[in-house]
Amino acid sequence: MDNKGSSQKAGSLLLLLLLVSNLLLCKSVASLPICPSGAVNCQVSLRDLFDRAVILSHYIHNLSSEMFNEFDKRYAQGRGFITKAINSCHTSSLSTPEDKEQAQQVHHEVLLSMILGVLRSWNDPLYHLVTEVRGMQEAPDAILSRAIEIEEQNKRLLEGMEKIVGQVHPGVKENEVYSVWSGLPSLQMADEDTRLFAFYNLLHCLRRDSHKIDSYLKLLKCRIIYDSNC
Amino acid sequence: MADFAPRQNEPLIHFLWKEKGANMKENVASTVVFILLLFLNTNLLNGQSPPGKPEIFKCRSPEKETFTCWWKPGADGGLPTSYTLTYHKEGETFTHECPDYKTGGPNSCYFNKKHTSIWTIYIITVNATNQMGSSSSDPRYVDVTYIVEPDPPVNLTLELKQPEDRKPYLWIKWFPPTLVDVRSGWLTLQYEIRLKPEKAAEWETHFAGQQTQFKILSLYPGQKYLVQVHCKPDHGFWSEWSPESSIPIPNDFSMTDATVWIFVAVLSAVICLIMVWAVALKGYSMVTCILPPVPGPKIKGFDTHLLEKGKSEELLSALGCQDFPPTSDCEDLLVEFLEVDDSGDQPLMPAHSKEHPGQGVKPTHSDPDSDSGRGSCDSPSLLSEKCDEPRANPSKFHTPEGLEKAEKPETNVTQPQGPQGTSVEGKIPSFHVSGSQSSTWPLLQPPGLHYSRSSYHSVAVVCKLGLGTAGAAPTLLDKTDTRALKPSQTIETGGEGKAAEHGESESFRSKTDQDAARLLPQDKTPLTSAKPLEYVEIHKVSKDGALALLPKQNENSGRAEKTSTPETSKEYSKVSRVMDSNILVLVQDRRAQNLAPFEEPAKEAPPSLPQNPAAVDLASFPAAPSNCRLQLGALDYLHPTGFMHPFQ
Repeated sequence: MDNKGSSQKAGSLLLLLLLVSNLLLCKSVASLPICPSGAVNCQVSLRDLFDRAVILSHYIHNLSSEMFNEFDKRYAQGRGFITKAINSCHTSSLSTPEDKEQAQQVHHEVLLSMILGVLRSWNDPLYHLVTEVRGMQEAPDAILSRAIEIEEQNKRLLEGMEKIVGQVHPGVKENEVYSVWSGLPSLQMADEDTRLFAFYNLLHCLRRDSHKIDSYLKLLKCRIIYDSNC
Repeated sequence: MADFAPRQNEPLIHFLWKEKGANMKENVASTVVFILLLFLNTNLLNGQSPPGKPEIFKCRSPEKETFTCWWKPGADGGLPTSYTLTYHKEGETFTHECPDYKTGGPNSCYFNKKHTSIWTIYIITVNATNQMGSSSSDPRYVDVTYIVEPDPPVNLTLELKQPEDRKPYLWIKWFPPTLVDVRSGWLTLQYEIRLKPEKAAEWETHFAGQQTQFKILSLYPGQKYLVQVHCKPDHGFWSEWSPESSIPIPNDFSMTDATVWIFVAVLSAVICLIMVWAVALKGYSMVTCILPPVPGPKIKGFDTHLLEKGKSEELLSALGCQDFPPTSDCEDLLVEFLEVDDSGDQPLMPAHSKEHPGQGVKPTHSDPDSDSGRGSCDSPSLLSEKCDEPRANPSKFHTPEGLEKAEKPETNVTQPQGPQGTSVEGKIPSFHVSGSQSSTWPLLQPPGLHYSRSSYHSVAVVCKLGLGTAGAAPTLLDKTDTRALKPSQTIETGGEGKAAEHGESESFRSKTDQDAARLLPQDKTPLTSAKPLEYVEIHKVSKDGALALLPKQNENSGRAEKTSTPETSKEYSKVSRVMDSNILVLVQDRRAQNLAPFEEPAKEAPPSLPQNPAAVDLASFPAAPSNCRLQLGALDYLHPTGFMHPFQ
């Protein structure tokens, strides 16, 4: 009985949360008209959620790629950072599929939670990235503006993913797993070489992880929405 | 024997032996060196050396599941060289060797699906080994994520579709490259097609998005088209262009109607713009072409310069008020009465007052002339006296509005004149002076116009009429019409009108149209138009009181002109009666009727009996060069000669 009551409560709470977040998402998501005008119940379909999520993840990766290239061109030439940026991403502790077959073998719920884990792992580093890029001497606007944009879009993508998770398998208590990032001291080092490498590494890992999320989401979208027939 | 000898030889032998040993060592060393060098030389002569450093120049994945790397060998050192590719992955320590050297072609390494990990850095090295040695390339860091470059799309088909009720089009279809897995969403491809007529130089490129078909609507009939397509993954590089497909477009492939209409619309818009532009630029000249402006009056003998300088009396005399309107009867132009104002304060021509508003009667010199109307009508000498007197009192006088222009040349009194110039000059001050008295103006009765006390207006009108052929006179005399004083227009037009008829107009003009014109403004006659005031000599006073006036004789013999056209002058040289003891009525002298006022020389038109009472056409009086201005106000008497053109 208790379980029923608590699960009912949880369910109703979740439903309420879902409604509220739907309404919020109606306002925050700019271009896609998620809520048709005049509709009393703003129901966002899973297809629209996935479309929106894929657009965001694609956009975030583009920004990350551009940011990395800009930094590489400007600060990292001839320093051989790539040789040191081996196995240095903080999200490598999260076990994620490494190729298509592995990804296709993972259940979509698991994959979704993996995506969520990676996304959450990046909240903190993105925040500090923006702060530290601002503090860089001659803070390049191309990098700073993209960092700010990525931070914001990452939050939106996280919200959208949570909604998707809520729709794909609602009611499951999610185990919030994510990697802790501890690279802040390196970003704040006085030694320029160390600090620049810290930035390089962070941007390198961001580029990779955003690509990962984008690939997983596209796989999931084709699998769930289009039944693997994109 | 050798006993005592050997003791001496031992050190020598030692020495010799030591030397030989050293030499031998040196020899051995040098020999060894020599042999080695020989060996090396031999090798060099053969061209054999360890291999040069190879270089991995490209790694590529066609579908993000496998990848291939190619290297470029260095110098092989003349010996058969073998290459090996070794790599290790990020996060691993174990070094692997290339699983497949064949699939990718020579000097390549193909990593199949099993050996490919995405989001992992591969550190790849190529080793070249030959008999002499080996060398390694620089390590290359490869992440499959960022080296995706697919194959071109396949099965490009072209089809011409001509549906019944719609426009015909070219339908292009293709398929994604075979290796790429688009269905699972692992890769998302975007396509681009390009086409051109076979002989064209440039391709026409169209972006097709994620669709695998495309429709082309605008095609040139009768040509063969070539089409190609390529694709790009969502985060990768563009593929190569597919092989060309061609399709001939038949000749009856019609252009869309829209094109024709667009062409027509554009053409008409261009034509309209050109017309508007032409009208805007040449509008005025076109309008003048179509509707030529009405020519102003041109009067022979009329000098535009006179108008410029405001010598209205000369101008008017040159023009000759009498002939206008041509149809009018002379009798109509008779002045009924001439109002001579005793007060001397009122402007003679109230109607003109607005032209020189502040310049009412200037009383300063009214006295000398105030009795001019009374006593001098029978005395030419008096006339001249009277005319001379005011000379001493140069003063400001009114300038009709139009004559204000003449104020400037007022200072240029002494302009060289023609024959009559001197006389005219002399008279100018008097003219000025007398002009200052009041805004006198020859009172002229326009034919049929009501003749009223404020008759200057009508006088002006009559003179106006008399002046003009084409209206120069009216314009001249029109108080409100300052155009009259534009010499170029009125004088000449008026002058042309009259010129044909009057010889003296030529002589008039001859000399000194310019001079007179200059004189005119200097005179500053109060004439509202450029009609000059001229004094006429009173010829006689007849019994009935008619005053016969003659144009004042000029020293110069410009009189020649006067003789020519007696018949057209309208000179009001005859005083018909005096009214109210202060109004002198002059009538027209029939004898000199047809002369144009300005053209009439001073003497040629003898004052004739008044045919019809009319306002004194001051301008019609023979142009005695008298500059005594006729003052019609303040009891001034009329000096017809004053109105004559001082050209003589």
